[in-house]
Amino acid sequence: MADWIPIALSRDVPVGITRAVIVDTREVMIWRGEDGVAQVWEDRCPHRGMRLSLGFVRGNALNCLYHGWQYGAGANCLRIPAHPDLTVPPTIRANAFAAAETGGMVWMSDDSAAPPPQLPALTPVISLAIEVAPERVLAELGGSTAEPLIELPFAADTLQIGWHRVHAAKTMLHATGAGADIGAATAHLRALRQNLEQGVAA
Amino acid sequence: MSLTDDRAALDQWYTLGALQDFPDGAEVHSRLLGEDLTVRRLADGVEVRAAGRALPVRTEYGHLWTSFGTPERNLFELPESREPDRRWIHCGPVRVRASGLRLVENFLDLAHFPYVHTDILGSEAHPEVAKYEVEQRRDVDELWATKCEFYQPKAAAASDEGQISKYMYRVVSPFNVMLYKTPPTAPDRWDVIALFVQPVDEAVSVANAFMLVIDDTSTDAELSAFQQMIFVQDKIVLENQRPSLLPLQPGRETPTRADLSSVLYRRWLKEKQLRFGTEPRTDLPNA
Repeated sequence: MADWIPIALSRDVPVGITRAVIVDTREVMIWRGEDGVAQVWEDRCPHRGMRLSLGFVRGNALNCLYHGWQYGAGANCLRIPAHPDLTVPPTIRANAFAAAETGGMVWMSDDSAAPPPQLPALTPVISLAIEVAPERVLAELGGSTAEPLIELPFAADTLQIGWHRVHAAKTMLHATGAGADIGAATAHLRALRQNLEQGVAA
Repeated sequence: MSLTDDRAALDQWYTLGALQDFPDGAEVHSRLLGEDLTVRRLADGVEVRAAGRALPVRTEYGHLWTSFGTPERNLFELPESREPDRRWIHCGPVRVRASGLRLVENFLDLAHFPYVHTDILGSEAHPEVAKYEVEQRRDVDELWATKCEFYQPKAAAASDEGQISKYMYRVVSPFNVMLYKTPPTAPDRWDVIALFVQPVDEAVSVANAFMLVIDDTSTDAELSAFQQMIFVQDKIVLENQRPSLLPLQPGRETPTRADLSSVLYRRWLKEKQLRFGTEPRTDLPNA
């Protein structure tokens, strides 16, 4: 799999929002504080394993729903409400992945040393879940599992579609376009999904 | 999945639910520790069978109890059940997709009140967990947490205003736990709220709440609805913990001082070598 993986459309993670995503069977979450920077973390509070995607964003911090443990943008725990006077040891931190935004998508990487791709800003079309193996989806759309993006000609436009593996039999697509007719492009992608899923069922 | 081979789990008493939920003559299908069971209420008692064999049965505290193995001890004592002025309220069963051990640990936890039971059992303005005491009572093989105090905006169904509630917790077996708490109307006594967990599979549980309370104002329905509301809030958390099995391996989770009772509970489970409902460990030889 590519070093950097597109996991959501930026549009779908507005300020103040958390979002759960499954990337190759791993549960991760995205959140965006007031500073506008998207963070991609393991979907698990180190305290008692609570999924952080159920937490709440205040300012530039993410708070776990279970006990209100507060994490800053650097993933370090800032506050443990049960012990208001405690200076939280720096070893207590959420598990953060390298995150980047480019081409209208949020990207994650296990290896923060590799630079993220640089893509022009594009218009978000839609994210679609397809209950079909990525290998088959990419073969159908003319992409390659070695590349994080699929270029799909549509009308006068070329859609740039990021993809990620949810698990062996499920694919997520994140479609963007330069000047695409969003309604028509969405309908086109939904029809492709229907064909793929029916092909699997057949 | 079939019946666990975990000796420590087999040799315990488990509830299969409130007696009132087993009507006369009817055969009820149930499941415990990965094995299917049938329960039949007869004129002269209750019969529990699994894989063709009859299991031991107890009917105590309004609940039906059984075991696949040979429990070292009798069912725990609950002296408050003999006090005539207590109301007996059953609440449940509630099915939860999580290890029963996670349910018990959540029951022992004070620190979540302001966030999970906001403006009921806790408030964000008062999140502090004061130091409390824990002990393992080896003569009865029980865990106790005492001198627990927490500010509660609405401590019980009958509460009109906030109070500092006093709590004691008592773990009587890996899947059975109770708390003692000051009632709003009788500050010199203790309400008892028990959580009897039926571990169905490793990561599927049925929770039965049982209350023995001093309250002459609320109706049964109000008492039950209050507990139900609290438990539904807990269920959201319990089904979203990862892993859903309780981790006993050091370093997998991060306890603080407020988690003292959980630390003792996990240590006790390890001492018992209980595996059912725990995350498989990779740090032990021959694991």
